Amino acid sequence: MKTFAESKFPGRLIAVEGLDGSGKSTQIYLLKRWLEAEGIKVYFSEWNSSELVKSATSKGKKRELLTPTTFSLIHATDFADRYERHLVPLLRAGYIVLCDRYVFTAFARDVTRGCPPDWVRGNYSFACAPDLTMFFKADLDVSLNRILEGRPKLKFFEAGMDLRLSNDPYESFKIFQGRILDQYLAMSKEFKFVIIDANEAVEVQQVIVRKLVSDRIDLKKFKRRSPLPLPPTLRHKREEVIERDEDKTA
Amino acid sequence: MKKPHRFYGHGIPHVNSADLGGKLIVVEGADGSGRSTQIAELVNWLETSGHATVQVGLKRSTLVSEELERAQEGNVLSRTTLALFYATDFADQLENLILPALKSGFIVLADRYIYTLMARDMVRGMDEAWLKNLYGIAPEPDAVFYLSVEPEELVQRNLSKTATLDYWESGMDLGFSRDLFDSFLKYQTAMGDAFRELEKTYKFNIVDANRSVSSVTKELRKKITALLAE
Repeated sequence: MKTFAESKFPGRLIAVEGLDGSGKSTQIYLLKRWLEAEGIKVYFSEWNSSELVKSATSKGKKRELLTPTTFSLIHATDFADRYERHLVPLLRAGYIVLCDRYVFTAFARDVTRGCPPDWVRGNYSFACAPDLTMFFKADLDVSLNRILEGRPKLKFFEAGMDLRLSNDPYESFKIFQGRILDQYLAMSKEFKFVIIDANEAVEVQQVIVRKLVSDRIDLKKFKRRSPLPLPPTLRHKREEVIERDEDKTA
Repeated sequence: MKKPHRFYGHGIPHVNSADLGGKLIVVEGADGSGRSTQIAELVNWLETSGHATVQVGLKRSTLVSEELERAQEGNVLSRTTLALFYATDFADQLENLILPALKSGFIVLADRYIYTLMARDMVRGMDEAWLKNLYGIAPEPDAVFYLSVEPEELVQRNLSKTATLDYWESGMDLGFSRDLFDSFLKYQTAMGDAFRELEKTYKFNIVDANRSVSSVTKELRKKITALLAE
């Protein structure tokens, strides 16, 4: 799996992974706020959010129609749609793309559900690897408590109830999350996850995240207002426009 | 009907192919090849002879058929998304209809199967090895009949039926030509080539469907009778 940089994309992709309740969404949100404030071209994409596929996924979940295979395929379809319609064009245009969950979520979850690892990885093999993957590792109890604190009603698939691990959704959720964590940790080295201690305070983690990102990526290259090179004919036009604008201001 | 089925690849988690009895019969071919007519004919004949049947086809799943239809109307599907969307539709019918029916000893008639999906994706530049992995979930059919019709004849049949050519069946998303007629011919020729490529791996019974409906029916019945006697 080559990264976007290795595949000569001008943009860079940063992904966060971790269990529900690991605090990864908060961290990537804060990262996005910072990059925007720095004037960087940034785009955020969330797992399971394609406009095209979302209604089918939520119908499947609500009516409990999904099997491990269709669960895997419908999420792959969702990912492919975001990948082809948003991620690839933005990365070609030199954006920093932030992904709250990437293919590793599927690798961990679908395999926990019983799908063969080679099959799942093969299905996602059209995607490049992130240029940086941060894995937010909290103690299992910490993640579970964050989610279960208010005793929310856990959804069927979220709790892994389809795996028939336990008739009690809370018990099922705990076992399911534990198994997903095992899957994540088993692939951590292979996919070069940078592990962030998610038991730390939000601010402490964010300092680490920002430092990591600025060490790994030459951020000034991704600032807005640094137009990409255009083909000669168009470049000529743009120069005209700029000259005209300058005339106005003068 | 004891011959066990097997999956092309990894199969479906928690499903043992040895539990699958029945027969899986696939009819492949372009729009206008007479597929639906022949399947209706076969169902009628098989049920009259005392066989229980189940029919499946493309874009008929409870899970995603409506969403897929809507996405196709908007022409916003890129090739990987199109491939995976159809694979989801197939998998949903596989698990909810095909596998339970085979377990109960039914004859399943598939109005198109993974081969059309693979051929379409190959024409759009998807990698064959990628497709083979994806469709490793599919059980190997007992027979695949490919109704072969020349593209020129397909044009005539489609036009006489609907007075137009379908956007996707003409491969208009591929940009072969802005002209629907030209694009249809080029696309159907490319699809024929893709099927010939797939034939190297998968066993197809090629049926000359340029002929009359009744002579095609006769040939299909003869072959299926032999299959059921095995």
